[in-house]
Amino acid sequence: MSDAERSIDDAPDGSTDEFEPIQVFPEAEEMDLRPGADNCYKCSTCDTNCPVAAVDDEFPGPKFQGPEQWRLKRQDDRDVDESVMKCSNCMRCDSACPSSVPLSQMHNTARGEYVDERMSKRSREYLRNRMLANYRRLAPLASTFPRTANAVMGLSITRWIGEKLLGVTSEREFPEFATETFREWWETRGGNAASKKRAREARAKRGGDADDAEKRIAYFHGCYANYNTPEVAKALVRVYEHFGYEVLVPDQRCSGTPMFANGMLDDARRAAETNVAELAAAIEDGADVVASCSSCSMSIRQEYPELFDFADTETVAETTWDAVEYLRVHEDLEAELAGTSVDDEFDSFAYHAPCHSRNQGLNGQTIEVMSAIDGVDVHDVGDSCSGISGTYGWKAENYETSMKIGEEMFEHMADADAEAGLTECPTCSMQMEHGTGYEITHTLEVLEAALVETGTDE
Amino acid sequence: MATDTDVLVVGGGSTGCGIARDLAMRGLEVTLVERGNLTDGTTGRMHGLLHSGGRYAVSDRASATECIEENEILREIAGHCVELTGGLFVQRPEDSDAYFEEKLEGCRACDIPARVLSGREAREVEPYLATDVKRAIEVPDGAVDPFRLCVANAIDARAHGARIETHAEVIDLLREGDDVYGVEVRHDSGPGTRVHRTPGSTEEITAEYVVNATGAWAGRIGAMADLDVEVRPSKGVMTIMNVRQVDTVINRCRPKGDADIIVPHETTAILGTTDEEVSDPDDYPEEEWEVDAMIDTLSELVPILTEARTIRSFWGVRPLYEPPERDTRDPTDITRDFFLLDHAERDGVAGITSIVGGKFTTYRAMAEEISDHVCEKLGVNASCATATEPLPGSENLEILEEGMDDFGLRSPIARRSKQRLGSRSREVLETDEANPVICACEGVTRAEVRDAVSQSGSDLNAVRIRTRASMGNCQGGFCCGPMANELHPKYDEPTARAALDELIQERWKGQRHALWGEQLSQAMLNYALFATTMNRDEDPADAAEPLEYAAFDHGGR
Repeated sequence: MSDAERSIDDAPDGSTDEFEPIQVFPEAEEMDLRPGADNCYKCSTCDTNCPVAAVDDEFPGPKFQGPEQWRLKRQDDRDVDESVMKCSNCMRCDSACPSSVPLSQMHNTARGEYVDERMSKRSREYLRNRMLANYRRLAPLASTFPRTANAVMGLSITRWIGEKLLGVTSEREFPEFATETFREWWETRGGNAASKKRAREARAKRGGDADDAEKRIAYFHGCYANYNTPEVAKALVRVYEHFGYEVLVPDQRCSGTPMFANGMLDDARRAAETNVAELAAAIEDGADVVASCSSCSMSIRQEYPELFDFADTETVAETTWDAVEYLRVHEDLEAELAGTSVDDEFDSFAYHAPCHSRNQGLNGQTIEVMSAIDGVDVHDVGDSCSGISGTYGWKAENYETSMKIGEEMFEHMADADAEAGLTECPTCSMQMEHGTGYEITHTLEVLEAALVETGTDE
Repeated sequence: MATDTDVLVVGGGSTGCGIARDLAMRGLEVTLVERGNLTDGTTGRMHGLLHSGGRYAVSDRASATECIEENEILREIAGHCVELTGGLFVQRPEDSDAYFEEKLEGCRACDIPARVLSGREAREVEPYLATDVKRAIEVPDGAVDPFRLCVANAIDARAHGARIETHAEVIDLLREGDDVYGVEVRHDSGPGTRVHRTPGSTEEITAEYVVNATGAWAGRIGAMADLDVEVRPSKGVMTIMNVRQVDTVINRCRPKGDADIIVPHETTAILGTTDEEVSDPDDYPEEEWEVDAMIDTLSELVPILTEARTIRSFWGVRPLYEPPERDTRDPTDITRDFFLLDHAERDGVAGITSIVGGKFTTYRAMAEEISDHVCEKLGVNASCATATEPLPGSENLEILEEGMDDFGLRSPIARRSKQRLGSRSREVLETDEANPVICACEGVTRAEVRDAVSQSGSDLNAVRIRTRASMGNCQGGFCCGPMANELHPKYDEPTARAALDELIQERWKGQRHALWGEQLSQAMLNYALFATTMNRDEDPADAAEPLEYAAFDHGGR
């Protein structure tokens, strides 16, 4: 029997019509994104909006990293240019592009492929990047002995070793670990049951339907609010409960942002799979998802559907919100804030809108919301990038670039009539503090101060 | 009487360049004249398929056998012009099983390596294939760059002493009684490499023997010496997609038909084609339905084509010929075999032979046969070496692949540049000067552009076919200017400007057939760029009257 007679596609029972779809793109780093280059007219708007290209002449810019590099590629080529590692993953190119080129998707997959194919798994760079990308894995250890960890991390010898051994800049101070994580606090406070009760009371107090079970959110706190700034996470819980929302805190892992930025797509996939499954279950229970960190919400809303196709990925992406955005849409937040005031510690802020908020179209909301509170004066410090972009500015080789990018923001902060900073992104806040010495606050903390009576929940 | 040259070859396509190289390597003195740039006729207007022979395996087994033999030779001697993509003959559910079997048997009978893949296996090779394709035959089809191949032949012919004259149109065949003894040509800009704005001239070139290798134009050249050559030009459209939707040649496995092939070509994919007889190879309608048919029909195989970006379309004319005694109506039925018409035997006129028919993949074998014929006529005893001597750029390619040198270029640019230049890479790309990218779409650097300029005078279309600069998705919007800039200071500003105009026109020509969706936006952006940065919409420098600068204020308030 010749090959031609062999009935290859036929199932043993002879049913030939049923087409069984095959998984043609099993892994993100194997995705063929060449068709995405069709949208590019080479206008270079992405390049002129790229904060890295603006200060580093060696960086070829997002147009090369994305549509040009992809278009030059053949299916079997395995030589993504190393310059993709200089991209900070701020994703400003996505919003700059007038023609919907999937730039950050192209960058993320190219970077994943570069790390897979070309970066030695024994190199210092790989180990360092893997560690930075998986900060969440080290954090539990540090927060078991937070005081010791903080003392050790703060030692100049530790920072010196970090730079020499791992290439983590010694210029920056490691963020402090909280003595009690958010999740520890949440459990001690009584978990979901306690929240349910508080929300019910709040609804009754507000004159609404106490039995309104619709008001339920699942909080994606991310790593930083859990281990380092639980006060932000607590603020979210209290503000939402004030509006009568029952809060769920599902099991969760890193959102994946630092992993995408370091080309660690396998790590990101594993984390995303857990997050999608847990959040999808919460959605099934009637909750909407909110996040306090702008990069976490960005990741779940845009990067997950671009890079992964687990069941429910799209649903989770469509049901996830930024925490302040959600309240503006579902409650009359500004009316609620009218007539409220805050203590002197919050009287004036230099506000920086993180790139990942900007990409979600949220760069104007904080100024509008804050202006509803009496006595708070918030100054927008402009549309520049802070320069740190997550783990990017922590790498010794990027430190200078990172600070150069941040210069515009530092100057505007210094010029603004304020002595404190305000933002929604943990690493932007590190950079703001590093460049100016200001204390940095999260928007939710101000909302808490305006809306929630102190002493009700300790 | 001493003649200017032993053999005069008319036509700078694959056949003419192949003959010039072959004869020059055999030690003959050769002059080749071409009315435009090399490849300007049919060679530069094909879909770039290096046939495995599979396409002819049912209808014409002799051609199929010849194809697979030449396919294997070209992989060896022209490695830097060829990409070993492999090819698939794809069967859809509605396509005949009997034809599929015939195709497979035909391949086997012609020694074309062929393997049957299930629909699923085919989609693993090419993920964008339609989900309902039934099965496929895998064959060693490939992609070939006709420009590079032709230029490499010409370069090697010149290295063996040949004179290559482009932009030299034959305006008369010199005939005395029953003997053709040369041609009269009109040089567009004096003899030698073309320089715009150099005054033209005419020249009589006498030769022992004239070879008419003008393909679809052979009838017109023949007529200059009252010789009838019944060539039947047939047009076909090729539509170029912005990116490669496939990395394998995709053929529809069914009997002849329009729109049945997709060839991955460099950064693009080329869809082909139609087959319509035309009366004048220089003037025929380029019709919209032809382009639509490419996309509509081929999207049955690769559905993503319906939403993909087209960057341009072009038409070519096949030099079909059939002996007068046959009477084939449909051009698709005319044989793709080539014919050597010795006018001494045929018309009693000595000193000239015409070549018609044939196909690109077997250009070398054709050239060999014609060169044998010419040698016999001239009483020269020399044998052909073109089947084993690599072309310039294809010597020792394995050494190039081992060498990891990127010449300071970013990896995809280095990879594409080295693929284009082959063993000439070091000679061209190694430079102490800065070597910026001139054409970002295709990854062409200044060093490569300068190398091409050194070969071809001020002609930027000649630079384009050598380098691919301006052949990417912006179709020259961003690189035409920088390319023209490289002509300076060797050529003055008016010369560079004339060359720029010509390149922009040529790029516009093909885009006219792709003006919807993304390419329309691109054309709008290009227009704005040309207008605002170079006054290409209306240049005051071209105005009859000098600009009255005094009519403007000084710009202050």
